This record gives sequence, C-alpha cells and structure tokens, in this order.
Amino acid sequence: MNAKPLFVLICSGEREKLQMAAMMASVAAVSDRPVEIFVSMNAIYAFEKGKTADERYRGGVFADMLRDKNAPDPVELLGQGKMLGDMKVYACSMALDVLGWEMSNLVDDLFDAPLGLTKYLSDAEEGDLVTL
Amino acid sequence: MADRQTIDARGAFCPGPLMEMIAALKLVAVGDEIEVLSSDKGSSADIPEWVAKVGHEMVGITDHEGHWSLVVRKLK
Repeated sequence: MNAKPLFVLICSGEREKLQMAAMMASVAAVSDRPVEIFVSMNAIYAFEKGKTADERYRGGVFADMLRDKNAPDPVELLGQGKMLGDMKVYACSMALDVLGWEMSNLVDDLFDAPLGLTKYLSDAEEGDLVTL
Repeated sequence: MADRQTIDARGAFCPGPLMEMIAALKLVAVGDEIEVLSSDKGSSADIPEWVAKVGHEMVGITDHEGHWSLVVRKLK
C-alpha cells in the first residue's frame, strides 16, 4: 500500500459536510488509501451515542435532500469504511473536555481513541489534510 | 465455473453500490464474480475506477433501462 494517507479533519455539524467527509474517507479507505479522521467542534455532536439519524445533524437545503432521498447516513458510512478499509477515527480530546464527555459518550465501534492536535498534525505531515 | 452473486443496489446513492460490492467481494473466493445492479450513474463510473485501482477485473458493464449491471471478478 503506497498511497499517500488521507487526513480528514471535520469540525462542522452540518450534514452536507459530514456526508462529504464520510464519503471521502470511506472511498479512500476502500481504495487502498489509509485514512485518519479527527472529529472536533460541532461535528462531535453527530457522533453522540443514542442519537437517531434525524437528531444527528443540522444542515441546509442539501441536507434536507439527502434525508428525503435516504442517502447513506454519514456515521454508518464511516462504520462501513472502517470495516472494509484502513481507517482510524479519533475524537478531539479538547472537544471531549469542553463537553465533559468520555469516549463512552460516543457511538460504539467507530472511534479508536481520543487524540490531540499535536499528534494528529504530526501524522498529517505524511499525507494530504482536508478540513471540513 | 466461477460463482456469480448479484447485489441489487438500485435506489442506493453513491458510494452505497461501491461499498456493498466491496463487502460482497471480501466474502467470495478468488475467481468468483459479483454483479452489482445500480441506478446511480456516478457508481457506474466509480466502480470500474476502483476495480482498476485495486487490481480486480471488470468483466462487463451493461446499460439497462434505468440501471446498470456491473460484473467484477475477484482476482486476489
């Protein structure tokens, strides 16, 4: 596997951006390209355990279209990508601290660990970093 | 004679058909084939791209009314 790793840093709680992040990450992961995702700020709310698909996201016009047309749910899509490819998913330690959350507050079977930016940015020097 | 399994992903949006095909490919033997039925135009281009990148064989693509049939053979 020689492909440059893809680093996706997602801060937005908007469905449109979470959808794109999940699509990019999943397709890259299944295409023999290692992926590391860093979830922070408003995005972390979408991954709270116990939320229904309707409760996970805010969004604009396109978010309504995605919902109405039953587009794949971003959180579930990431789970698929993780199962089928090389994908690591990290929760921003700072965001967890601000909310007073533990990893157990997040959906099961997706997150690998909490992580800080120092390590994430250092890893990202090896590949392409995208921010959404 | 290779086995062929059909996945009906009609109605699913990108990257649904691709992901379903990949999940199925993981479970079949080398030499077996997966046929994906997809109504998503993007997938009809994306799937051959993925097949070429990862190193399987694109057996054929058939354009039906309103959907495509894409047949992939697992090579490794």
